[in-house]
Amino acid sequence: MSATMELVCPAGTPASLRAAVDAGADAVYVGFRDETNARNFPGLNFSRGELADGVAYAHDRNVKVLVAINTFPKAGNPGPWMKAVDDAHEIGADAVILADIGVADYAARNHADLRRHLSVQASASNPEAIRFYAEAFGIKRVVLPRVLTVAEIAALNTQIPVETEVFVFGGLCVMAEGRCSLSSYITGISPNKEGVCSPASHVRYEEEGDVLVTKLGECTVNRFSAGEPAGYPTLCKGRFLVKGKPQYLFEEPTSLSVIHMLPELAEAGVTALKIEGRQRGRAYVAQVVAAFRKALDAVATGEPVSAEELATVTEGRRETAGVYKRDWR
Amino acid sequence: MKRSQPQTKRSQAQAGAPPLTPFLLAGLALRPVPPALLQPFLTFSMRAIERRHPSLFERLSGVEEPEFLIDPTDLPFAFLLSIDPLLPTLTAYTDAEGLEPTATIRGPLMTLVHLLEGRIDGDAMFFSRDLVIEGDTEAVVALRNAVDGAEIDVVEDVLAFLGPLGSPARIAFQVGAAIFSRAATDMETLRSALIAPALKRSEAQAAELKDLEDKVAGLSQEPRRGRRRMPVKKTKKTDTE
Repeated sequence: MSATMELVCPAGTPASLRAAVDAGADAVYVGFRDETNARNFPGLNFSRGELADGVAYAHDRNVKVLVAINTFPKAGNPGPWMKAVDDAHEIGADAVILADIGVADYAARNHADLRRHLSVQASASNPEAIRFYAEAFGIKRVVLPRVLTVAEIAALNTQIPVETEVFVFGGLCVMAEGRCSLSSYITGISPNKEGVCSPASHVRYEEEGDVLVTKLGECTVNRFSAGEPAGYPTLCKGRFLVKGKPQYLFEEPTSLSVIHMLPELAEAGVTALKIEGRQRGRAYVAQVVAAFRKALDAVATGEPVSAEELATVTEGRRETAGVYKRDWR
Repeated sequence: MKRSQPQTKRSQAQAGAPPLTPFLLAGLALRPVPPALLQPFLTFSMRAIERRHPSLFERLSGVEEPEFLIDPTDLPFAFLLSIDPLLPTLTAYTDAEGLEPTATIRGPLMTLVHLLEGRIDGDAMFFSRDLVIEGDTEAVVALRNAVDGAEIDVVEDVLAFLGPLGSPARIAFQVGAAIFSRAATDMETLRSALIAPALKRSEAQAAELKDLEDKVAGLSQEPRRGRRRMPVKKTKKTDTE
Protein backbone atom coordinates (compact mmCIF):
# COMPACT_ATOMS: atom_id res chain seq x y z
CA MET A 1 0.00 0.00 0.00
CA SER A 2 1.36 3.41 -0.94
CA ALA A 3 1.14 5.75 2.00
CA THR A 4 2.72 8.74 0.32
CA MET A 5 -0.06 10.08 -1.82
CA GLU A 6 0.58 13.61 -3.06
CA LEU A 7 -1.73 16.35 -1.76
CA VAL A 8 -2.68 18.66 -4.65
CA CYS A 9 -4.26 21.89 -3.44
CA PRO A 10 -6.08 24.82 -5.07
CA ALA A 11 -4.99 28.45 -5.22
CA GLY A 12 -6.88 31.29 -6.87
CA THR A 13 -4.55 34.04 -5.67
CA PRO A 14 -0.92 34.32 -4.57
CA ALA A 15 -2.17 34.62 -0.98
CA SER A 16 -4.01 31.29 -1.33
CA LEU A 17 -0.92 29.69 -2.86
CA ARG A 18 1.14 30.70 0.16
CA ALA A 19 -1.66 29.50 2.47
CA ALA A 20 -1.72 26.11 0.73
CA VAL A 21 2.06 25.73 0.86
CA ASP A 22 2.19 26.75 4.51
CA ALA A 23 -0.65 24.37 5.42
CA GLY A 24 1.15 21.33 4.00
CA ALA A 25 0.41 21.01 0.28
CA ASP A 26 2.71 18.81 -1.81
CA ALA A 27 1.59 20.59 -4.97
CA VAL A 28 -0.55 23.64 -5.71
CA TYR A 29 -2.57 24.04 -8.89
CA VAL A 30 -3.31 27.46 -10.35
CA GLY A 31 -4.50 29.18 -13.53
CA PHE A 32 -3.68 32.28 -15.51
CA ARG A 33 -6.05 35.23 -15.35
CA ASP A 34 -7.91 34.43 -18.57
CA GLU A 35 -10.17 31.91 -20.29
CA THR A 36 -7.47 29.24 -20.59
CA ASN A 37 -8.54 27.66 -17.29
CA ALA A 38 -11.79 26.35 -15.87
CA ARG A 39 -11.99 28.88 -13.01
CA ASN A 40 -12.04 32.08 -15.02
CA PHE A 41 -13.75 34.14 -12.31
CA PRO A 42 -13.53 37.93 -11.93
CA GLY A 43 -10.66 39.05 -9.71
CA LEU A 44 -9.23 35.52 -9.54
CA ASN A 45 -6.07 33.83 -10.82
CA PHE A 46 -2.50 34.75 -11.58
CA SER A 47 -0.69 37.23 -13.75
CA ARG A 48 2.56 35.95 -15.22
CA GLY A 49 4.54 37.90 -12.64
CA GLU A 50 2.45 36.59 -9.76
CA LEU A 51 2.94 33.03 -10.97
CA ALA A 52 6.71 33.47 -11.16
CA ASP A 53 6.71 34.72 -7.56
CA GLY A 54 4.40 31.86 -6.54
CA VAL A 55 6.61 29.24 -8.17
CA ALA A 56 9.65 30.66 -6.37
CA TYR A 57 7.80 30.60 -3.02
CA ALA A 58 6.63 27.02 -3.54
CA HIS A 59 9.92 25.66 -4.86
CA ASP A 60 11.80 27.19 -1.93
CA ARG A 61 9.63 24.94 0.26
CA ASN A 62 9.86 21.87 -1.97
CA VAL A 63 6.28 22.22 -3.20
CA LYS A 64 5.31 21.78 -6.87
CA VAL A 65 3.19 24.18 -8.93
CA LEU A 66 0.84 22.80 -11.57
CA VAL A 67 -0.76 25.15 -14.11
CA ALA A 68 -4.27 24.33 -15.29
CA ILE A 69 -4.72 25.11 -18.98
CA ASN A 70 -7.81 23.01 -19.11
CA THR A 71 -10.42 24.69 -21.26
CA PHE A 72 -10.92 24.04 -24.98
CA PRO A 73 -9.66 26.68 -27.43
CA LYS A 74 -12.26 28.45 -29.46
CA ALA A 75 -12.20 27.58 -33.15
CA GLY A 76 -9.65 29.71 -34.94
CA ASN A 77 -8.08 31.14 -31.78
CA PRO A 78 -5.75 28.63 -30.11
CA GLY A 79 -3.14 31.34 -29.47
CA PRO A 80 -3.92 32.12 -25.79
CA TRP A 81 -3.77 28.41 -24.88
CA MET A 82 -0.42 27.87 -26.61
CA LYS A 83 0.94 31.05 -25.05
CA ALA A 84 -0.19 29.78 -21.65
CA VAL A 85 1.75 26.54 -22.19
CA ASP A 86 4.84 28.50 -23.31
CA ASP A 87 4.63 30.82 -20.30
CA ALA A 88 4.06 28.00 -17.80
CA HIS A 89 7.19 26.32 -19.16
CA GLU A 90 9.24 29.51 -19.08
CA ILE A 91 8.14 30.37 -15.54
CA GLY A 92 9.20 26.93 -14.33
CA ALA A 93 5.92 25.21 -13.55
CA ASP A 94 6.30 21.56 -12.62
CA ALA A 95 3.45 20.42 -14.88
CA VAL A 96 0.57 21.65 -16.99
CA ILE A 97 -2.93 20.21 -16.65
CA LEU A 98 -4.45 19.93 -20.13
CA ALA A 99 -7.79 18.91 -21.60
CA ASP A 100 -7.69 19.68 -25.33
CA ILE A 101 -5.81 17.27 -27.62
CA GLY A 102 -4.53 20.15 -29.77
CA VAL A 103 -3.04 21.89 -26.74
CA ALA A 104 -1.65 18.59 -25.48
CA ASP A 105 -0.03 17.97 -28.86
CA TYR A 106 1.44 21.50 -28.88
CA ALA A 107 2.89 21.01 -25.39
CA ALA A 108 4.34 17.59 -26.27
CA ARG A 109 5.98 18.85 -29.45
CA ASN A 110 7.30 22.16 -28.15
CA HIS A 111 8.05 21.47 -24.48
CA ALA A 112 8.80 17.78 -24.19
CA ASP A 113 10.45 18.35 -20.80
CA LEU A 114 7.29 19.93 -19.35
CA ARG A 115 5.30 17.28 -17.47
CA ARG A 116 1.76 16.89 -18.77
CA HIS A 117 -1.28 15.89 -16.73
CA LEU A 118 -4.70 15.18 -18.18
CA SER A 119 -7.43 17.38 -16.70
CA VAL A 120 -10.71 16.04 -15.40
CA GLN A 121 -12.15 18.25 -18.15
CA ALA A 122 -10.98 15.64 -20.69
CA SER A 123 -13.37 13.20 -19.01
CA ALA A 124 -11.13 10.19 -19.65
CA SER A 125 -12.46 7.36 -17.52
CA ASN A 126 -11.60 4.12 -19.33
CA PRO A 127 -8.24 2.42 -19.98
CA GLU A 128 -8.44 2.81 -23.74
CA ALA A 129 -8.92 6.57 -23.60
CA ILE A 130 -6.22 7.06 -20.97
CA ARG A 131 -3.72 4.87 -22.85
CA PHE A 132 -4.38 6.93 -25.97
CA TYR A 133 -3.53 10.19 -24.17
CA ALA A 134 -0.40 8.57 -22.70
CA GLU A 135 0.84 7.21 -26.01
CA ALA A 136 -0.09 10.20 -28.19
CA PHE A 137 0.87 13.09 -25.91
CA GLY A 138 3.09 11.64 -23.20
CA ILE A 139 0.53 12.27 -20.46
CA LYS A 140 2.01 11.20 -17.11
CA ARG A 141 -1.02 11.57 -14.87
CA VAL A 142 -4.78 11.52 -15.35
CA VAL A 143 -7.19 13.39 -13.09
CA LEU A 144 -10.11 10.99 -12.95
CA PRO A 145 -13.69 12.14 -13.48
CA ARG A 146 -15.88 11.75 -10.42
CA VAL A 147 -17.76 8.80 -11.87
CA LEU A 148 -15.75 5.81 -10.63
CA THR A 149 -16.03 3.73 -7.48
CA VAL A 150 -12.89 2.95 -5.50
CA ALA A 151 -13.00 -0.64 -6.83
CA GLU A 152 -13.20 0.66 -10.39
CA ILE A 153 -10.25 3.01 -9.76
CA ALA A 154 -8.22 0.08 -8.40
CA ALA A 155 -9.02 -1.98 -11.49
CA LEU A 156 -8.20 0.96 -13.79
CA ASN A 157 -4.83 1.45 -12.12
CA THR A 158 -3.80 -2.05 -13.16
CA GLN A 159 -4.57 -1.32 -16.81
CA ILE A 160 -2.95 2.06 -17.48
CA PRO A 161 0.67 3.21 -17.64
CA VAL A 162 0.12 6.56 -15.88
CA GLU A 163 -0.52 7.95 -12.39
CA THR A 164 -4.05 8.69 -11.22
CA GLU A 165 -5.22 11.73 -9.29
CA VAL A 166 -8.67 11.82 -7.67
CA PHE A 167 -10.81 14.52 -6.09
CA VAL A 168 -11.20 14.10 -2.34
CA PHE A 169 -12.89 17.31 -1.22
CA GLY A 170 -14.90 20.28 -2.47
CA GLY A 171 -17.43 21.21 -5.10
CA LEU A 172 -19.01 18.20 -6.72
CA CYS A 173 -19.65 18.35 -10.46
CA VAL A 174 -22.20 15.65 -11.17
CA MET A 175 -22.14 15.96 -14.95
CA ALA A 176 -19.72 14.56 -17.55
CA GLU A 177 -17.01 17.13 -17.01
CA GLY A 178 -15.83 19.02 -20.06
CA ARG A 179 -19.02 18.06 -21.84
CA CYS A 180 -21.74 19.75 -19.80
CA SER A 181 -23.72 22.45 -21.59
CA LEU A 182 -26.35 23.24 -18.95
CA SER A 183 -24.81 26.57 -17.99
CA SER A 184 -24.11 27.43 -21.64
CA TYR A 185 -27.74 26.77 -22.49
CA ILE A 186 -28.93 29.42 -20.03
CA THR A 187 -26.13 31.99 -20.24
CA GLY A 188 -24.53 31.55 -23.67
CA ILE A 189 -21.15 31.34 -21.91
CA SER A 190 -19.42 27.96 -21.99
CA PRO A 191 -17.66 26.50 -18.93
CA ASN A 192 -15.58 24.42 -21.31
CA LYS A 193 -14.43 27.25 -23.58
CA GLU A 194 -14.69 30.37 -21.42
CA GLY A 195 -13.86 28.66 -18.16
CA VAL A 196 -16.78 29.57 -15.98
CA CYS A 197 -19.85 27.58 -14.99
CA SER A 198 -22.78 29.74 -13.82
CA PRO A 199 -20.90 32.98 -14.51
CA ALA A 200 -21.33 35.61 -11.81
CA SER A 201 -22.37 38.11 -14.49
CA HIS A 202 -25.58 36.09 -14.91
CA VAL A 203 -26.20 35.23 -11.23
CA ARG A 204 -28.65 37.14 -9.07
CA TYR A 205 -29.43 36.68 -5.38
CA GLU A 206 -32.75 38.12 -4.28
CA GLU A 207 -34.12 38.28 -0.75
CA GLU A 208 -37.88 37.80 -0.61
CA GLY A 209 -38.50 38.33 3.09
CA ASP A 210 -36.66 35.43 4.73
CA VAL A 211 -36.44 33.46 1.48
CA LEU A 212 -33.25 33.60 -0.60
CA VAL A 213 -33.94 33.23 -4.30
CA THR A 214 -31.00 32.32 -6.56
CA LYS A 215 -31.26 32.94 -10.27
CA LEU A 216 -29.11 32.17 -13.28
CA GLY A 217 -30.17 34.40 -16.13
CA GLU A 218 -33.95 34.32 -16.14
CA CYS A 219 -34.04 30.84 -14.59
CA THR A 220 -34.80 30.46 -10.88
CA VAL A 221 -32.34 27.86 -9.63
CA ASN A 222 -33.45 27.60 -6.01
CA ARG A 223 -35.44 29.12 -3.18
CA PHE A 224 -33.90 28.67 0.25
CA SER A 225 -36.26 29.14 3.17
CA ALA A 226 -35.26 30.95 6.38
CA GLY A 227 -32.24 29.33 7.99
CA GLU A 228 -31.83 26.73 5.24
CA PRO A 229 -28.18 26.46 4.16
CA ALA A 230 -27.64 27.81 0.66
CA GLY A 231 -25.74 26.39 -2.32
CA TYR A 232 -24.14 27.59 -5.52
CA PRO A 233 -26.47 28.75 -8.30
CA THR A 234 -25.59 25.86 -10.61
CA LEU A 235 -28.38 24.22 -12.58
CA CYS A 236 -27.19 20.69 -11.77
CA LYS A 237 -27.94 21.43 -8.11
CA GLY A 238 -31.11 23.39 -8.76
CA ARG A 239 -34.45 22.67 -7.13
CA PHE A 240 -37.20 22.75 -9.72
CA LEU A 241 -40.94 22.29 -9.73
CA VAL A 242 -41.73 18.73 -10.77
CA LYS A 243 -45.45 17.99 -10.96
CA GLY A 244 -45.97 20.97 -8.69
CA LYS A 245 -43.43 19.88 -6.06
CA PRO A 246 -39.98 21.47 -5.62
CA GLN A 247 -37.35 18.76 -6.11
CA TYR A 248 -33.66 18.41 -6.78
CA LEU A 249 -33.42 16.74 -10.19
CA PHE A 250 -29.73 15.82 -10.30
CA GLU A 251 -27.98 16.55 -6.99
CA GLU A 252 -28.60 18.53 -3.83
CA PRO A 253 -26.26 21.33 -2.72
CA THR A 254 -23.47 19.29 -1.19
CA SER A 255 -19.69 18.91 -1.28
CA LEU A 256 -17.53 15.87 -1.81
CA SER A 257 -15.57 14.69 1.22
CA VAL A 258 -13.76 11.37 1.45
CA ILE A 259 -11.27 12.22 4.19
CA HIS A 260 -12.14 8.89 5.83
CA MET A 261 -11.43 6.90 2.64
CA LEU A 262 -7.77 7.81 2.23
CA PRO A 263 -6.50 4.31 3.17
CA GLU A 264 -8.85 2.79 0.59
CA LEU A 265 -7.66 5.22 -2.09
CA ALA A 266 -4.03 4.44 -1.27
CA GLU A 267 -4.85 0.74 -1.49
CA ALA A 268 -6.42 1.37 -4.91
CA GLY A 269 -3.07 2.70 -6.16
CA VAL A 270 -4.00 6.37 -6.36
CA THR A 271 -0.95 8.67 -6.66
CA ALA A 272 -2.43 12.08 -5.84
CA LEU A 273 -5.39 13.57 -4.00
CA LYS A 274 -6.98 16.75 -5.29
CA ILE A 275 -8.82 19.36 -3.25
CA GLU A 276 -11.28 21.42 -5.29
CA GLY A 277 -11.75 25.14 -4.77
CA ARG A 278 -9.55 27.63 -6.61
CA GLN A 279 -12.52 30.01 -6.37
CA ARG A 280 -12.62 29.76 -2.57
CA GLY A 281 -10.90 32.10 -0.11
CA ARG A 282 -7.55 31.48 1.49
CA ALA A 283 -9.23 30.68 4.83
CA TYR A 284 -10.91 27.69 3.14
CA VAL A 285 -7.62 26.64 1.53
CA ALA A 286 -5.72 26.82 4.81
CA GLN A 287 -8.41 24.93 6.76
CA VAL A 288 -9.00 22.13 4.26
CA VAL A 289 -5.35 21.61 3.32
CA ALA A 290 -4.33 21.43 6.99
CA ALA A 291 -7.08 18.87 7.69
CA PHE A 292 -5.99 16.65 4.79
CA ARG A 293 -2.30 17.04 5.63
CA LYS A 294 -3.06 15.80 9.13
CA ALA A 295 -5.17 12.95 7.77
CA LEU A 296 -2.50 11.89 5.27
CA ASP A 297 0.17 11.94 7.95
CA ALA A 298 -2.07 9.77 10.10
CA VAL A 299 -2.55 7.30 7.24
CA ALA A 300 1.22 7.19 6.64
CA THR A 301 1.88 6.16 10.24
CA GLY A 302 -1.06 3.75 10.36
CA GLU A 303 -3.03 5.88 12.79
CA PRO A 304 -6.79 6.39 12.45
CA VAL A 305 -7.90 9.51 10.60
CA SER A 306 -9.48 11.89 13.08
CA ALA A 307 -12.87 13.35 12.34
CA GLU A 308 -12.01 16.84 11.18
CA GLU A 309 -14.80 19.36 11.17
CA LEU A 310 -15.02 20.46 7.56
CA ALA A 311 -18.80 20.75 7.35
CA THR A 312 -18.71 24.52 7.88
CA VAL A 313 -17.05 25.05 4.50
CA THR A 314 -19.15 22.60 2.48
CA GLU A 315 -21.81 23.66 0.01
CA GLY A 316 -25.23 23.48 1.61
CA ARG A 317 -23.24 22.56 4.77
CA ARG A 318 -23.54 18.90 3.71
CA GLU A 319 -21.06 16.36 2.41
CA THR A 320 -21.12 13.12 0.47
CA ALA A 321 -18.72 10.37 -0.59
CA GLY A 322 -20.27 10.72 -4.04
CA VAL A 323 -19.63 7.96 -6.54
CA TYR A 324 -16.67 6.52 -4.62
CA LYS A 325 -19.29 4.67 -2.61
CA ARG A 326 -22.05 4.04 -5.09
CA ASP A 327 -24.63 3.07 -2.48
CA TRP A 328 -27.59 3.60 -4.76
CA ARG A 329 -26.53 0.92 -7.24
CA MET B 1 -24.62 47.85 -15.12
CA LYS B 2 -27.55 46.79 -12.98
CA ARG B 3 -27.87 48.69 -9.72
CA SER B 4 -29.05 47.10 -6.52
CA GLN B 5 -31.76 48.75 -4.49
CA PRO B 6 -30.40 48.94 -0.96
CA GLN B 7 -32.74 48.38 1.93
CA THR B 8 -32.82 51.15 4.46
CA LYS B 9 -31.72 50.34 7.99
CA ARG B 10 -35.39 50.24 8.97
CA SER B 11 -36.44 47.71 6.32
CA GLN B 12 -33.34 45.63 6.99
CA ALA B 13 -34.32 45.42 10.63
CA GLN B 14 -37.71 44.12 9.56
CA ALA B 15 -36.06 41.48 7.38
CA GLY B 16 -33.91 40.06 10.19
CA ALA B 17 -32.69 40.99 13.67
CA PRO B 18 -29.06 42.10 13.92
CA PRO B 19 -26.74 40.02 16.11
CA LEU B 20 -26.30 41.00 19.76
CA THR B 21 -22.72 42.30 19.70
CA PRO B 22 -20.76 45.07 21.41
CA PHE B 23 -21.01 46.92 18.11
CA LEU B 24 -24.78 46.93 18.41
CA LEU B 25 -24.57 48.73 21.76
CA ALA B 26 -21.77 51.00 20.55
CA GLY B 27 -23.84 51.71 17.47
CA LEU B 28 -26.79 52.81 19.58
CA ALA B 29 -24.50 55.23 21.37
CA LEU B 30 -23.10 56.41 18.06
CA ARG B 31 -26.52 56.93 16.48
CA PRO B 32 -26.59 60.71 17.16
CA VAL B 33 -23.08 61.09 15.70
CA PRO B 34 -23.18 62.58 12.20
CA PRO B 35 -21.41 60.30 9.68
CA ALA B 36 -19.31 63.26 8.58
CA LEU B 37 -17.38 62.97 11.85
CA LEU B 38 -16.31 59.44 10.86
CA GLN B 39 -15.14 60.57 7.47
CA PRO B 40 -11.54 61.58 8.30
CA PHE B 41 -10.90 58.16 9.85
CA LEU B 42 -12.49 56.35 6.88
CA THR B 43 -10.47 58.37 4.37
CA PHE B 44 -7.29 57.76 6.38
CA SER B 45 -7.99 54.00 6.47
CA MET B 46 -8.61 53.87 2.74
CA ARG B 47 -5.34 55.67 1.99
CA ALA B 48 -3.53 53.21 4.28
CA ILE B 49 -5.03 50.17 2.55
CA GLU B 50 -4.52 51.66 -0.92
CA ARG B 51 -0.87 52.32 -0.22
CA ARG B 52 -0.15 48.94 1.36
CA HIS B 53 -2.22 46.82 -1.07
CA PRO B 54 -2.09 48.26 -4.61
CA SER B 55 -2.84 44.78 -6.04
CA LEU B 56 -6.33 44.95 -4.53
CA PHE B 57 -7.41 47.71 -6.90
CA GLU B 58 -5.46 46.21 -9.79
CA ARG B 59 -7.49 42.97 -9.46
CA LEU B 60 -10.68 45.00 -9.67
CA SER B 61 -9.61 46.65 -12.92
CA GLY B 62 -11.85 44.34 -14.99
CA VAL B 63 -14.98 45.73 -13.33
CA GLU B 64 -16.21 49.16 -14.35
CA GLU B 65 -15.71 51.42 -11.29
CA PRO B 66 -18.22 49.66 -9.06
CA GLU B 67 -19.76 51.10 -5.90
CA PHE B 68 -20.43 48.70 -3.02
CA LEU B 69 -22.77 49.41 -0.14
CA ILE B 70 -21.20 47.68 2.87
CA ASP B 71 -23.98 47.38 5.42
CA PRO B 72 -23.06 46.08 8.90
CA THR B 73 -26.32 44.89 10.45
CA ASP B 74 -25.17 45.80 13.98
CA LEU B 75 -24.20 49.40 13.22
CA PRO B 76 -26.43 52.40 12.53
CA PHE B 77 -24.19 53.26 9.56
CA ALA B 78 -23.67 51.82 6.11
CA PHE B 79 -20.57 52.51 4.03
CA LEU B 80 -20.33 53.22 0.32
CA LEU B 81 -17.09 51.90 -1.15
CA SER B 82 -16.33 53.53 -4.52
CA ILE B 83 -13.63 51.79 -6.54
CA ASP B 84 -12.23 54.72 -8.48
CA PRO B 85 -8.80 53.42 -9.57
CA LEU B 86 -7.30 56.87 -9.04
CA LEU B 87 -8.99 57.68 -5.74
CA PRO B 88 -11.03 54.91 -4.06
CA THR B 89 -13.25 56.27 -1.29
CA LEU B 90 -15.26 54.99 1.66
CA THR B 91 -18.20 57.12 2.83
CA ALA B 92 -20.51 56.58 5.81
CA TYR B 93 -24.29 56.99 5.57
CA THR B 94 -27.00 56.69 8.20
CA ASP B 95 -29.64 56.19 5.53
CA ALA B 96 -28.78 54.32 2.35
CA GLU B 97 -32.07 55.16 0.67
CA GLY B 98 -31.53 56.95 -2.61
CA LEU B 99 -28.11 55.40 -3.16
CA GLU B 100 -27.76 53.19 -6.21
CA PRO B 101 -24.76 50.97 -5.50
CA THR B 102 -23.59 48.33 -7.94
CA ALA B 103 -24.08 45.78 -5.18
CA THR B 104 -24.87 45.53 -1.48
CA ILE B 105 -23.09 43.28 1.03
CA ARG B 106 -24.81 42.91 4.38
CA GLY B 107 -23.77 41.09 7.56
CA PRO B 108 -22.51 41.55 11.12
CA LEU B 109 -19.55 43.95 11.34
CA MET B 110 -17.08 41.37 12.63
CA THR B 111 -18.03 38.99 9.81
CA LEU B 112 -17.39 41.75 7.29
CA VAL B 113 -14.05 42.68 8.90
CA HIS B 114 -12.97 39.02 8.99
CA LEU B 115 -13.93 38.70 5.35
CA LEU B 116 -11.92 41.81 4.52
CA GLU B 117 -8.93 40.26 6.25
CA GLY B 118 -9.47 36.82 4.64
CA ARG B 119 -9.89 35.14 8.03
CA ILE B 120 -13.13 33.44 6.97
CA ASP B 121 -14.35 32.02 3.71
CA GLY B 122 -16.94 34.14 1.90
CA ASP B 123 -18.64 31.15 0.27
CA ALA B 124 -19.01 29.44 3.65
CA MET B 125 -20.62 32.61 5.06
CA PHE B 126 -22.98 32.64 2.08
CA PHE B 127 -23.88 28.95 2.53
CA SER B 128 -24.68 29.59 6.21
CA ARG B 129 -26.72 32.67 5.28
CA ASP B 130 -24.60 34.91 7.53
CA LEU B 131 -23.96 37.12 4.54
CA VAL B 132 -26.52 38.74 2.25
CA ILE B 133 -25.56 39.81 -1.27
CA GLU B 134 -27.70 41.91 -3.60
CA GLY B 135 -27.07 43.50 -6.97
CA ASP B 136 -24.28 42.79 -9.42
CA THR B 137 -22.88 39.41 -8.36
CA GLU B 138 -19.92 39.68 -10.73
CA ALA B 139 -18.75 42.85 -9.00
CA VAL B 140 -19.12 41.20 -5.57
CA VAL B 141 -17.15 38.13 -6.67
CA ALA B 142 -14.40 40.37 -8.06
CA LEU B 143 -14.28 42.35 -4.80
CA ARG B 144 -14.22 39.18 -2.71
CA ASN B 145 -11.36 37.69 -4.73
CA ALA B 146 -9.41 40.95 -4.77
CA VAL B 147 -9.80 41.49 -1.04
CA ASP B 148 -9.01 37.87 -0.20
CA GLY B 149 -5.84 38.01 -2.27
CA ALA B 150 -4.66 41.30 -0.77
CA GLU B 151 -3.93 39.95 2.74
CA ILE B 152 -5.34 43.01 4.44
CA ASP B 153 -4.88 43.46 8.17
CA VAL B 154 -6.95 46.51 9.02
CA VAL B 155 -5.22 47.28 12.31
CA GLU B 156 -1.69 46.67 11.05
CA ASP B 157 -2.33 48.67 7.88
CA VAL B 158 -3.60 51.69 9.80
CA LEU B 159 -0.88 51.47 12.46
CA ALA B 160 1.82 51.19 9.80
CA PHE B 161 0.42 54.26 8.07
CA LEU B 162 0.59 56.25 11.32
CA GLY B 163 4.39 56.22 11.32
CA PRO B 164 5.87 57.36 14.66
CA LEU B 165 2.38 57.51 16.18
CA GLY B 166 2.00 53.80 15.47
CA SER B 167 3.48 52.59 18.76
CA PRO B 168 1.19 54.53 21.15
CA ALA B 169 -1.74 53.78 18.85
CA ARG B 170 -0.89 50.06 19.05
CA ILE B 171 -1.02 50.19 22.86
CA ALA B 172 -4.35 52.00 22.71
CA PHE B 173 -5.65 49.41 20.28
CA GLN B 174 -4.54 46.51 22.47
CA VAL B 175 -6.37 48.02 25.44
CA GLY B 176 -9.44 48.55 23.28
CA ALA B 177 -9.26 44.97 21.94
CA ALA B 178 -9.12 43.58 25.48
CA ILE B 179 -12.17 45.64 26.46
CA PHE B 180 -13.97 44.49 23.32
CA SER B 181 -13.13 40.86 24.03
CA ARG B 182 -14.56 41.10 27.56
CA ALA B 183 -17.62 42.93 26.25
CA ALA B 184 -18.16 40.27 23.58
CA THR B 185 -18.04 37.53 26.24
CA ASP B 186 -20.48 39.47 28.44
CA MET B 187 -22.81 40.03 25.50
CA GLU B 188 -22.74 36.33 24.66
CA THR B 189 -23.66 35.52 28.26
CA LEU B 190 -26.46 38.08 28.08
CA ARG B 191 -27.65 36.67 24.75
CA SER B 192 -27.69 33.13 26.17
CA ALA B 193 -29.68 34.31 29.20
CA LEU B 194 -32.17 36.18 27.02
CA ILE B 195 -32.84 33.30 24.67
CA ALA B 196 -32.75 30.56 27.33
CA PRO B 197 -36.54 30.52 27.97
CA ALA B 198 -37.29 30.49 24.23
CA LEU B 199 -34.67 27.78 23.71
CA LYS B 200 -36.23 25.65 26.45
CA ARG B 201 -39.66 26.00 24.85
CA SER B 202 -38.19 25.17 21.47
CA GLU B 203 -36.49 22.02 22.81
CA ALA B 204 -39.73 20.91 24.46
CA GLN B 205 -41.62 21.44 21.20
CA ALA B 206 -38.95 19.53 19.27
CA ALA B 207 -39.25 16.59 21.70
CA GLU B 208 -43.04 16.70 21.38
CA LEU B 209 -42.76 16.77 17.59
CA LYS B 210 -40.37 13.81 17.62
CA ASP B 211 -42.79 11.90 19.82
CA LEU B 212 -45.64 12.62 17.41
CA GLU B 213 -43.51 11.60 14.42
CA ASP B 214 -42.68 8.29 16.12
CA LYS B 215 -46.37 7.68 16.81
CA VAL B 216 -47.29 8.45 13.19
CA ALA B 217 -44.53 6.14 11.97
CA GLY B 218 -45.83 3.41 14.26
CA LEU B 219 -49.42 3.90 13.06
CA SER B 220 -48.40 3.70 9.41
CA GLN B 221 -46.71 0.34 10.05
CA GLU B 222 -49.48 -1.23 12.15
CA PRO B 223 -52.04 -1.91 9.41
CA ARG B 224 -49.31 -3.53 7.30
CA ARG B 225 -48.53 -5.98 10.11
CA GLY B 226 -52.19 -6.76 10.69
CA ARG B 227 -53.15 -6.94 7.02
CA ARG B 228 -54.33 -10.39 5.89
CA ARG B 229 -52.91 -11.66 2.66
CA MET B 230 -55.34 -12.32 -0.14
CA PRO B 231 -55.06 -15.82 -1.57
CA VAL B 232 -53.32 -15.80 -4.94
CA LYS B 233 -55.20 -17.58 -7.64
CA LYS B 234 -52.94 -20.10 -9.33
CA THR B 235 -52.92 -19.99 -13.11
CA LYS B 236 -51.49 -22.46 -15.56
CA LYS B 237 -48.01 -21.47 -16.77
CA THR B 238 -47.79 -20.96 -20.50
CA ASP B 239 -44.84 -21.39 -22.86
CA THR B 240 -44.79 -17.72 -23.74
CA GLU B 241 -43.70 -16.64 -20.24
